[in-house]
Amino acid sequence: MTSEDSVLVQVQNLKKYFPIYKGLIVNKHVNDVKAVDDISFDVYKGETLGLVGETGCGKTTVGRTILHLYRPTSGKIIFGGINLADLGENEMRVMRRRMQMIFQDPYASLNPRMTVGSIISAPLDVHTSANRKEKQDQVQELLKIVGLNPDFVNRYPHEFSGGQRQRIGIARALALSPDLIICDEPISSLDVSIQAQVVNLLEELQERLGLTYIFIAHDLSMVRHISNRMVVMYLGKIMELADRNEIYLRPLHPYTQALMSAVPIPDPDKARNRQRILLEGDIPSPVNPPIGCNFNTRCPIATEECFKIDPEYRELTPKHFVACHHAEQFIK
Amino acid sequence: MAEINPQDTEIVDFAIREHRSLWLDAWRRLIANKIAMLGLFVVALFILTASLSHFFWKYDPKSDLDYSSKLFAPNLVVTEDAPAVHIFGTDKLGRDIFRRVVHGGWNSLRVGLVSVSISLAIGGLMGLLAGFFESIDMNFWERVTLMGLLGLGLGSLSAWIAAQFFQIFLFSGLGIFSVVFQRWKAGKKVRILAFAVMGMLLGGVSGLLVGPLVGLVCGFLGLGVGMILARPLGGKLFSDVTMRIMDVILSFPSYLLAIAIVAFLGPGLEKGMIAIGVVGIPVYARLARSAVLSVSQKEYVLAAQAVGESHGRILFKHIVPNILSPIIVQSTMGLANAILSAAALGFLGLGAIPPEPEWGAMLGDSYKYLSSGAWWAVLFPGLAIMLSVLGFNLLGDGLRDALDPKMRI
Amino acid sequence: MEPLLSINNLKTRFHTEDGIVKAVNGVSYSMKVGEVLGVVGESGCGKSVHALSIMRLIQIPPGEIESGEIWFDGRDLLKLDNNDMRHVRGRDIAMVFQDPMSSLNPVYTVGFQICEALMLHKKMNKNEARHRAVELLTLVGIPEAKRRLDNYPHQFSGGMRQRAMIAMALSCEPKLLIADEPTTALDVTIQAQIINLVVKLQEELGMAVMWITHDLGIVAEMAHTINVMYAGYIIERGNVRDIYKRTLHPYTFGLLGSLPVIDEAPGTKLISIPGLPPDLIDLPKGCPFYVRCTYRVDQCKFELPPLMESESSQHTVACWRWQEIDGKGTK
Repeated sequence: MTSEDSVLVQVQNLKKYFPIYKGLIVNKHVNDVKAVDDISFDVYKGETLGLVGETGCGKTTVGRTILHLYRPTSGKIIFGGINLADLGENEMRVMRRRMQMIFQDPYASLNPRMTVGSIISAPLDVHTSANRKEKQDQVQELLKIVGLNPDFVNRYPHEFSGGQRQRIGIARALALSPDLIICDEPISSLDVSIQAQVVNLLEELQERLGLTYIFIAHDLSMVRHISNRMVVMYLGKIMELADRNEIYLRPLHPYTQALMSAVPIPDPDKARNRQRILLEGDIPSPVNPPIGCNFNTRCPIATEECFKIDPEYRELTPKHFVACHHAEQFIK
Repeated sequence: MAEINPQDTEIVDFAIREHRSLWLDAWRRLIANKIAMLGLFVVALFILTASLSHFFWKYDPKSDLDYSSKLFAPNLVVTEDAPAVHIFGTDKLGRDIFRRVVHGGWNSLRVGLVSVSISLAIGGLMGLLAGFFESIDMNFWERVTLMGLLGLGLGSLSAWIAAQFFQIFLFSGLGIFSVVFQRWKAGKKVRILAFAVMGMLLGGVSGLLVGPLVGLVCGFLGLGVGMILARPLGGKLFSDVTMRIMDVILSFPSYLLAIAIVAFLGPGLEKGMIAIGVVGIPVYARLARSAVLSVSQKEYVLAAQAVGESHGRILFKHIVPNILSPIIVQSTMGLANAILSAAALGFLGLGAIPPEPEWGAMLGDSYKYLSSGAWWAVLFPGLAIMLSVLGFNLLGDGLRDALDPKMRI
Repeated sequence: MEPLLSINNLKTRFHTEDGIVKAVNGVSYSMKVGEVLGVVGESGCGKSVHALSIMRLIQIPPGEIESGEIWFDGRDLLKLDNNDMRHVRGRDIAMVFQDPMSSLNPVYTVGFQICEALMLHKKMNKNEARHRAVELLTLVGIPEAKRRLDNYPHQFSGGMRQRAMIAMALSCEPKLLIADEPTTALDVTIQAQIINLVVKLQEELGMAVMWITHDLGIVAEMAHTINVMYAGYIIERGNVRDIYKRTLHPYTFGLLGSLPVIDEAPGTKLISIPGLPPDLIDLPKGCPFYVRCTYRVDQCKFELPPLMESESSQHTVACWRWQEIDGKGTK
């Protein structure tokens, strides 16, 4: 499924800081929230790249910055060979045809005052010169694709359940047949049985339409289920990036290991017999990340080195990237 | 996990709620609320009587005068003492109070609508833009327009002092130029200095045409204008400036400010409308700004940006429809407030010019006769004020409950 | 042994402008002393409402506990007057809620809020209460408890707040702790800490725990018994191994199938349950799962299956065709 030579998106040394201002009259720039702090990765055509991490790890910011909804503080996003930072406002608008987003909250991501039809046709209004009839047909077609009744065009979002609304959001993202769809926690506010419906729909659409996904979530098992490769983030940095099996069978970063062992297993025997790595304490604030390795405050194997030197993000074994001083010991 | 053999299951394909727009929902909630319906009834009665009497029951206040029937108590049948029926009695000039109350309603209605429109148009627009540009980055042309308008506004100040109206164009030109100049990326300090000097020269030299003192004042004003325009005006700064101006207006007691404006403009119902309208601007500006700020944090606005919709489209298709509810509620309450303010101005003799029928002015005319037992001359205009204000307030409360988005997402 | 909690045909309704929402429809079960019960279901299945009914925290109106008995410690909670019920709450039954951000009052210190409960229910004086509060915070794993006592809730992180809530719930040594999705708002690593903590405390203190969740993964690890709820009914109940290894109800089956497993093989498809849960205002006459069920027959449409015993009396299921499903879930 993945073809290595066709890179769709390259993220290079991306940083996104949100400035904190203080002061009554003169706004003084006092500090930054380092939401994304120098990360690099590639996304291949047709693959699903999973982005997993806990609150405040910057995964949502990465997604939004790739779409240039946030202007990066520094670093490059190269989409299909074009550096997005070089584009003017109008060129960027044209570029948006090729990349879309599915949002987390199906209740907040649809305008309650607009009908389903006009929500889905908004991208068509902006980017195509299709007439009313053509748009209407296209909207009905899209509704069918995502498994909704095409007669729903004149309904309002509040008439639907969470899962149905998320399907409307997917239809909107598909309207311009984009290359890349960023799925920003699309299932985390849905019920379990509905989650599976949406994930299956996303997988089926990928097969049919050859889409590329960046799938952002905090649920490690769901990300592993849908992704080809996975990125594990912590406090704005990438801790580990590898193939879905590789990262499960041979996690090289202590954070990934802990995250993996914290995932609930719906099987009483396995759940009770496994060894749990319990992390102590809480996630530090991204305003003042620790000096050295970001994970050093909670890491079970941290040494003095980890409190001084920020570990290099390196390719330790082929196609397996990790940012840890002590990752070698986990290569079995 | 073992396989389940799925028999064919039809897709359950239904919406969970019946088809109804949010506005229709709100209407249903409104008519289910008895107190709101009472308010609506009072308001409807008020509007109906006022407009019907205005168009179909002509009244000329200037010729309405009959000393022979001065201060008659209310009577429902013709007797020897009272040759005509006056259900509300008559006032000191023998005018039928019922007729004047009904026609006064037309004036109150006009004051309410016009002054709320003034506050809403100016305040709402300023709040809308302030909130929008605070949360979403401006693009080049938006900056040009905004800077031009800012120069226009600030320029008017110095132009007014110097009585040189071409200064307005000079400063708005300076504003537009500064945005273009920013593209050349000159250092921030250099830019501010250059524009400050330029503003000082523009203001000062044209001021000199009038006199040296005016030239000095306008020079300093120009310095300030140039400095403000040279700042890379982000949405935050625009919003801050607008909102501080609103705070200044709000810091005056509202009646005093209205009286001051009327005193400046001269008495008259129309001037009263303007005064009440101006005083109301900050309320709508603040309300609109805070509503925009909360709506623009919603994911559907982000979704619209991700789709590539333009700022104008986002503003009018996504933001405006979603901030309408609080604005509608505030406007309804604002109508009540405006009627009350107009009555206060009228009572003080600053609103409608006599003999124009106006509730506040009628009270002001008649309260002196209260001691001689003419309670009706005060009671009925007062009752009219109270009822109409109560009606609008009840309706506003009902609308607030009906439009509350928390009840149904 | 006498059960600690015994619920008999509990029905809870909400009167709304659209109609009567039938949130809990005749729930009956009992809990032993020291038992850990997992209550599993999706949103709107009545799991939280039934817990709030036990605590009598349903707002009346619009809510109404239409019928049923809740026997706790030899008393029917539904027949107690408000004053007695207030003593049961907190002292005998304590509850931890989902949102740690809003369940602590932001204007009081954490210490004050814990001490208040102690002084009210245990009649302690201020010093004793403070002393006990430090012990409790240490017990739930908050470092430097003495200093932390004077902190306000906003100075605590989400995980710490939930720990503080648990400390508060434990303050009067309740016989039953009801935890209503206490980890849903937390991160996985923090969730693991909290689960570990509750399991440890449960073993040490011997209290019964009712853990309400939508995640079958969480309760697999800690529960002894599991109730699966759907549309206000218990549709399957049994000990934890039976539920996961000998699943009898198609809904439980579907729920397990919709969960991705961390060690799954590549290319595994999730089994999704089609459709939506029924409208609680307009419940079908027959089985509430009928429209979504792959095993349905005509009988299901017209007759509501009661909770019936399978081979073991411990494992009950509300499905007419459980015998056919039995065995398919065995690994």
